[in-house]
Amino acid sequence: MKKILATIFKTIRENIFTPWGLWLAFLGVILLSALVAGIMIFWKGLVITNLTNLVPWGLWITIDLSSIAVSAGAFSLCAGVYLFGLKRYAPLARTATFIGLIGYTMAMLALVLDIGRPDRFYKALMFWNVHSLMWEVTMCVMLYLTVLVFESMPIFASLEWLRTRYPLLAKKMESIHHYAPFLAIIGLGLSSLHQSSLGAMYGVIKARPYLYKPEMAALFMFSAIVGGIALTLLASMLSSRLTSKARVNDILIERVSQFLSYLLIGYLYIRFWDWMASRYMHEPGRTEAYHLLTVGPLSFNFWFGELLLGILVPLILLLYRPTRLSPFWRMLALAMVVGGVVAFRYDINIVGQLAVISYLPGEAVVSYTAYSPSLVEWASGMGIVAYGLLAFSLGVKYLRVVDHRLTDEEHEVVTVKSTETVHA
Amino acid sequence: MTENNFNRRDFLKLSAVGVAVAVGTRAITQAEASSGQKGEHQWAMVIDQAKCTGCGYCTLACQAHNDVNPDIQWNKVLDAGEINGEKVYLARPCMQCEHAPCVEVCPVGASYYRDDGIVMMDYDKCIGCRYCQVACPFDARSFNWEAFTGENPAVPEWGTPEVERRPRGVPEKCAFCYQRIDRGLELDLTPGVDADATPACVVACPTGARMFGDLNDPNSNVSQILRKHVSYRLRENLGTGSRVYYLPVDDKVTEG
Repeated sequence: MKKILATIFKTIRENIFTPWGLWLAFLGVILLSALVAGIMIFWKGLVITNLTNLVPWGLWITIDLSSIAVSAGAFSLCAGVYLFGLKRYAPLARTATFIGLIGYTMAMLALVLDIGRPDRFYKALMFWNVHSLMWEVTMCVMLYLTVLVFESMPIFASLEWLRTRYPLLAKKMESIHHYAPFLAIIGLGLSSLHQSSLGAMYGVIKARPYLYKPEMAALFMFSAIVGGIALTLLASMLSSRLTSKARVNDILIERVSQFLSYLLIGYLYIRFWDWMASRYMHEPGRTEAYHLLTVGPLSFNFWFGELLLGILVPLILLLYRPTRLSPFWRMLALAMVVGGVVAFRYDINIVGQLAVISYLPGEAVVSYTAYSPSLVEWASGMGIVAYGLLAFSLGVKYLRVVDHRLTDEEHEVVTVKSTETVHA
Repeated sequence: MTENNFNRRDFLKLSAVGVAVAVGTRAITQAEASSGQKGEHQWAMVIDQAKCTGCGYCTLACQAHNDVNPDIQWNKVLDAGEINGEKVYLARPCMQCEHAPCVEVCPVGASYYRDDGIVMMDYDKCIGCRYCQVACPFDARSFNWEAFTGENPAVPEWGTPEVERRPRGVPEKCAFCYQRIDRGLELDLTPGVDADATPACVVACPTGARMFGDLNDPNSNVSQILRKHVSYRLRENLGTGSRVYYLPVDDKVTEG
């Protein structure tokens, strides 16, 4: 025992001042404080958060919505590769699948913190109210998480330790690759359902005038696809610059970035249209919330975070060939897109809850509520993000998650197999 | 070739089975789901704003009989402005909506309709997601942010608890004192007439501003009053079909 501890300490001492060691230490500190915050929340209950009866959904739900949104690269890129036959983008789909797996587990962690009775989590699967959009989201997310586990089996099969220790198991896990097209179909179906239902969940709430509109589903779907692809590309480029473990084929990323700029036009269209249409609905509660968003406390977030830096600037940077070809500008643009999607999810979740219409008769009095996350919410929320970063970093280092060159070779072997399956 | 056909067929078979299971389960759940309108009774409450003095006895009686945390009010009494120099109040229990947003959104069906129209909470099923709170247009649901462990200050002056205390982590709300109604009916009492079968807030009201009864019975006090008087319901434009009716102050003024 003493010997093991001594080796551990020695390893830490020797590696802490390398960039990798410092990165792990940084994430470790955040995770540790999140652990403390998490224990406090389970111990004392949600009373130590700043959530109230009128704003019951706060930072954690934003993290939940955002991590599901930026995981959407998994289904969109897998569909592109395995259903539309864009085989050469397969390495990107591999990265996206892994990010998807991390993102959905992040969402699960956020929900475990957020729900009042985490001990009854399983009841969400046992008792069904098929009329509830949240039931639909729960079911689809659970099923899709299962699909993601299967889709990432071949990734985990490339773990060196597993290959040498259990070669048969590793082979079995790798062979799941044959079913990639089928998994892609199921994934596309499930993701289209719950990515839009996540928006529809807000769209059916009559009690919150600003949220009660049908375009919520479309807004969520568009923002998810855009954010998901952007994060996949950004994570690939960033890790290829930070470590030699990650290697990318820049042509692939550049092509997808161009495609992303077209998708951004679609997202801009629907977001702009939603903003314009809301402008003319002089309905009590809705107008007030609209003002909170456009001229009130959320206006900076809306104009700069969502529209200017989130859509317009990256759109130009990705459409204009010289900036798209430059790794720096491209990465900047991709980061802006991801930030814009997170800003959108934050605004949408909070704006409807901030302006509440009173039920007193005769007059439509609008009352304003307030919410800013408490320290425990921040600490635990950042812990979830740190977990995501840690999982991805480990994936890059040990599972060759971002490895366009090596997986290319590996993929050739698999391609033969999968073409057999697909063609015959 | 053949191996692949196999796969595809297997896949289709599997999806067919999946769809069949999904549709089957759906049909069963839908058969179980009730609109809450098929029961023998349809309970409703009428609150006369002209008689309400805003004393808040209803809230205290409610807190005692349902063992509610003093920080939480199932039945709120709100200031509703002034008419002819007199203050007007609005007492707000749960509206027991016919098309309740909270029931529609609850993912696990912990909120549900009883056959007599009461919107119930199954506190053992609830996972605490708070979607119902976001969805309720009447702010009628309160979350148990922490456990209620202390003594209930409203007991015993305002009554004794008749239901179990709710645990931490679930939202709670008024359910028209269903426990009093059920026990009363067992004893052949009439809710709305006999105090022991009537919601605690109605019994406690010192001015008789609250009435309770069966809408299915044309001779019940609530049916008669609603036929005679002008009444309104809160946020009728939302179409939730609330079962709490208000008699406005103005109406009384013009009558007099």
